[in-house]
Amino acid sequence: MLQVSLQNTVPMRLDASFGCAPGELVALVGPSGSGKTSLLRAIAGLLKSKTLRGRVAVGPEAWFDSERGLNLPPQQRHAGFVFQHYALFPHLSALDNVVLAAGPAPQPDQFGALFERLGLAGLERRRPAQLSGGQQQRVALARALARQPKVLLLDEPFSAVDAPARQALYRELAALRQTLSTPMVLVTHDLGEARRLADRVVIIDAGRSLQTGTPAQVFASPRNARVAQLVGIQNHFRGRFHKVEPGRGRLEWGDAGGVSLQVLDKNRIPDGATVTWVIAGERIDLLADGACEGNTLRCKVLEQLVLGETSLCTLQPEQLAHERVTLSLSTGQLRFLQAPAGGWLRLRIAPDAIHIMPQKDVPAAQ
Amino acid sequence: MDWQAARVSLLLAVLTAVLLLPPGVAVARWLAFSSWRGKPLAEACLMLPLLLPPTVIGFYLLTALGQGSPLGAWLVRQLNLRLVFSFEGLLLASVLINLPFMAQPIQRAFAAIPNSVREAAWVSGLSNWRTFWRIELPLAWPGLLGGVALTAAHTLGEFGVVLMVGGSIPGVTRTLSIAIYDRVQAFDTAAAHVMALSLVAASIVAVAAVFAADRRQPLQDR
Repeated sequence: MLQVSLQNTVPMRLDASFGCAPGELVALVGPSGSGKTSLLRAIAGLLKSKTLRGRVAVGPEAWFDSERGLNLPPQQRHAGFVFQHYALFPHLSALDNVVLAAGPAPQPDQFGALFERLGLAGLERRRPAQLSGGQQQRVALARALARQPKVLLLDEPFSAVDAPARQALYRELAALRQTLSTPMVLVTHDLGEARRLADRVVIIDAGRSLQTGTPAQVFASPRNARVAQLVGIQNHFRGRFHKVEPGRGRLEWGDAGGVSLQVLDKNRIPDGATVTWVIAGERIDLLADGACEGNTLRCKVLEQLVLGETSLCTLQPEQLAHERVTLSLSTGQLRFLQAPAGGWLRLRIAPDAIHIMPQKDVPAAQ
Repeated sequence: MDWQAARVSLLLAVLTAVLLLPPGVAVARWLAFSSWRGKPLAEACLMLPLLLPPTVIGFYLLTALGQGSPLGAWLVRQLNLRLVFSFEGLLLASVLINLPFMAQPIQRAFAAIPNSVREAAWVSGLSNWRTFWRIELPLAWPGLLGGVALTAAHTLGEFGVVLMVGGSIPGVTRTLSIAIYDRVQAFDTAAAHVMALSLVAASIVAVAAVFAADRRQPLQDR
């Protein structure tokens, strides 16, 4: 089990804690410059900082413990690290890249199975410059695994390869996970990648871990508006929450004369509190104008942007001139509804699709 | 052609390059990878031999190493070593003034190695020493070749420091560049031409070797 709890001030502010069980893949997700790569480098012992505090441990073995003055160099940490731009040794063959990382007196023939498993058979003698981006990243993965690492650290490993190679690498990583019992930490800014590959995600912003959970949990129930923004939920609004009866509440959206929506009461928000709320896109239904049931709002279609098979549709609730709801829909569905820009539709929101967060968590300047 | 002078020049060039290579690599690597705050000052000091007139350097070396100086007197007394108007003194002066010619190409070659490649070596378990031998040195070798070639070419052509520290003792300190000067003074321009052309050819070969080595570097990420 990898346990990380790190704080730092210079050169990069960090305040993050998370764990990663054997065989588990945890994704550190955040925008560029959020500190996720610095966190990964700190785990590997590559972050040079005099202000780093906290602890990094794998099982009973501590790699870094500021209280004990312990800071093992990268060589002694036994972490496999896959770099964003491969960082292969350009003067060595693919095989020699891997053999060099395998420690003293390795047997070159022991790597045949590894090369076979990663789709590199026959490429052993090629130099990095003679390999495609996807092949180079596989060699980098083989090099990281050759050392039989106690932790596998992946720093945006798919961002430098083209889309087809990326899909193949996703499959290979998924297959590899079946055979590895190593904690794996993946840094990515790609939410789709995190949802697809990770058992758990850690949302990082300005060096802080804001929320940890399964992708489904974090994407459906962001802890605050910033997390909602970071995980790409476009529809987040402000409102006022009222308790109605045990388990049921009412959300006032907009000022007096606005809209009232039925919501679930999880007994976490006090009656009358100003809140931020989000709706998960997949729990919204669009109905033809005229339908009326449950949490249904009449909305004007402001804009339709066709992006191939999907379309972005911006709606304005009838009573709320300043609010906008943006939905990603299939282009076919939008055509079926026959609602061009300027037309009207009904928006139905399931009460349990509304996730309400306390207003105090909203950062001042977002 | 003054073959005696050619032999002294060649010996001086080879020994200077050989003696200067290890410290040149050490200084260059330190300058390439260090983030020490005083690094710009160290780089400026390294550049001094390129900027100061050779006669100024020669004068200070003469002053520092002559028998009238405490160091010069001590060397003669303790080690029976005379460093002015001797080949040993000429070699020491040559090593000192050629440090930037050796270090600069090597520094550039080390600095061109992506940091992530060195970090990849460390996380692969390679010690700093093994990283140097297995990764850094093979990637920086064109820089080493360039440093050796430039040092040798510059040593062959050096005049001012050689004249100040070594004088012009035939077979001991008289180099080709001094011999050319002597031939011109004696109006023997034919002999001066031969020696001057040989120095031009040596310089062209050295610089061409540097460029050729740089072109034959397809394996390193650029």
